[in-house]
Amino acid sequence: MEAILQARGLKKRFGDLEAVRGVDLTIAPGETYGLLGPNGAGKTTSISMIGGLLERDGGEVVVNGAQMTTTSLAPKADIGLVPQDIAIYPDLTARENLRFFGRLYGVRGLELDRRSDEVLEVIGLTDRADDRASDFSGGMKRRLNIGIGLFHKPMLLILDEPTVGVDPQSRNAILESVEHLSDEGMAVLYTTHYMEEAERLCDRVGIIDQGEVKAEGTRRELVQLVGQLDRIRVSIAGSADGAIAGIRSLGGVSDVVSADGTIEILATNASEVLAPTLAAITTAGAAVHSVTIDEPDLEAVFLHLTGKALRD
Amino acid sequence: MKVLTIAGANLRRFLRDRSNIFFVFVLPIGIVLLIGAQFSGDFEPTVGVFEAGTEIGASLAEELDSKGVVTVRRFDSEDEMLRAVERGVLAAAVSVPGDADTEVAAGRQVGVGFLTRPDGLGPQLRVSVIEAVSAVTLEPNAIAFAVSKGADPSVAAEASSASLAALPSIEVSTRSTGESLFEGVSGQFDIGASSQLVLFMFLTGLTGSAALIQSRQLGVTTRMVGSPTSSTSIIVGEGLGRFVIVLAQGVYIVVATVLLFRVDWGNLLATAAVLVAFSAVGAGAAMLLGTVFRNDQQAGGVSVVAGIGLAALGGSMLPLELFSPTMTTISRFIPHAWANEAFAEILRRGAGVGDIVTQLGVLAAFAAGLLAIASWRMRSVITRP
Ligand SMILES: Nc1ncnc2c1ncn2[C@@H]1O[C@H](COP(=O)(O)OP(=O)(O)OP(=O)(O)O)[C@@H](O)[C@H]1O
Ligand SMILES: [Mg+2]
Repeated sequence: MEAILQARGLKKRFGDLEAVRGVDLTIAPGETYGLLGPNGAGKTTSISMIGGLLERDGGEVVVNGAQMTTTSLAPKADIGLVPQDIAIYPDLTARENLRFFGRLYGVRGLELDRRSDEVLEVIGLTDRADDRASDFSGGMKRRLNIGIGLFHKPMLLILDEPTVGVDPQSRNAILESVEHLSDEGMAVLYTTHYMEEAERLCDRVGIIDQGEVKAEGTRRELVQLVGQLDRIRVSIAGSADGAIAGIRSLGGVSDVVSADGTIEILATNASEVLAPTLAAITTAGAAVHSVTIDEPDLEAVFLHLTGKALRD
Repeated sequence: MKVLTIAGANLRRFLRDRSNIFFVFVLPIGIVLLIGAQFSGDFEPTVGVFEAGTEIGASLAEELDSKGVVTVRRFDSEDEMLRAVERGVLAAAVSVPGDADTEVAAGRQVGVGFLTRPDGLGPQLRVSVIEAVSAVTLEPNAIAFAVSKGADPSVAAEASSASLAALPSIEVSTRSTGESLFEGVSGQFDIGASSQLVLFMFLTGLTGSAALIQSRQLGVTTRMVGSPTSSTSIIVGEGLGRFVIVLAQGVYIVVATVLLFRVDWGNLLATAAVLVAFSAVGAGAAMLLGTVFRNDQQAGGVSVVAGIGLAALGGSMLPLELFSPTMTTISRFIPHAWANEAFAEILRRGAGVGDIVTQLGVLAAFAAGLLAIASWRMRSVITRP
């Protein structure tokens, strides 16, 4: 299937600062891609070039087969871009804001009414639809900001740190709606510096720092890339010594340590070896009390790749 | 159409702000009053009376004064009064000949001089003066008439009211003055009022730059650029919103001055065409300012300076006829000059739309040029920070 977004060699310089230095991004239809990076990494700058909001110094952007420039209209219609800084009219109501931008994206007539109701439902603002946005809380404004971006059912929804400054409840609501949209087949490009969000939402993650994508892949691929292993800890009653050799011989297992009632297994993919491990332990005659799995997270990957923490 | 969507949102937001109600309906009242005041010199036009020491003259002045329609100013020198009319201090002057008393008593016709600037008020004032002259000469005339027919003077006085129909006519002769400065001038009104309208409309237009700057600050303009909407549509849409506001105010002022002060704006279609074209220029200028400045305080300051400065260069302070050749050349690059010129044609020479196509064309070109530069500027400020 052809990629919905193909960005190659994006470059942007602000004076002396090379904000983006050769970013490549490819997103397949329906895929959720996370761009994970700290403040100033170049996420917003990259996204602005992808959305045709910012003139680029180099590189190419193709959206759904069409070249994107700051003046092109067709590829812009395929994108819904939710800016990091809330961009709504405070003196218009939620519904008026949605309808205004809906019209700019070519939504007309009855569809405009229907879609307004739907989107208000999705962003949880049905009750406040006809209140002015200036009266909204920060989280509500942020939800409206998102609603505008998905109003016209874009093929690619770009969300730039949509959960910053939002309480945990609203945040969860936002993440859920992104998951929902993704399930419906919308491709999503999601930037964040919260690795939990990237892990939860994204099929693939790109780690960006100082204007460069340092590594890219599924969480598992990234973790493996930096040589980090999953750790399975099984606490047992009885002896499972007979199972150790069998577990060690499983594919993807690199080490097994057994000591007073606990067996620790280091493996590249915990979920692949968990079932045969537990089977071997019970076959050896021991009872399993509990299992804990530690998967190395993207934070560790990030630290490994950049030598610094995601958030300072 | 996206242009209409953007213009609609612009207007909706404008009207939603209560303080703008002041801006739309209250602020122009000042301009309406200013124009009205210029039109009439005062709410009560001042009429000079030269009595020449006659009784008839004194009663005439009293009679005019008592009506409350005009303010009467008595002059001892006819020349001085004449100059006051020329300078526009007086709307009109009435001059009574020195032999008026004896002539009337003798039942002869009296020539009362009526001098006015050739403005819209002349005919109305003339009617007032004729009424007053009739009133004060009615009785002496009647008596004189009766006496001339052989009646005893005391009897004649009693019987005078019976013979009104046969009175000799009183002639009020009219002369105009004040033409020395402008060819075909039609009075105080058009010298100042239309150019003030031009000045005000342009200022109103420029203040619209604040709305665009605000949209930019809100990030909404960037968001529009991210949508499949061309920067020209965005600028024309925002400009159209402002155009409607400026035009509404221009029309409001014209209609109010017509209704309240009976200002004569000449050919209405031609005046409307100038209002439309000049509103477009004001809106275009606002869009340009809105893309050049980052915050509305800056833009506000520049709006006032540019609004007044361009008005001065464009003949809204001093009539274009008095400009030096260099200044005249400069004024060709100022839209106000073309609007003022168009109004001068309409008001002084009774021009119709067909006579001012050049001015309308130049104004339209100004508007289109300003909008084109603004949309280019807007795309570049947003996409090349
Ligand atoms: N308009 C601009 N002018 C000058 N420098 C800029 C501009 N926009 C961004 N930068 C710089 O480019 C770099 C990348 O900024 P960018 O906004 O893309 O980072 P980001 O990854 O989105 O960060 P954050 O997580 O804080 O949003 C930063 O150093 C920033 O200061
Ligand atoms: Mg950012």
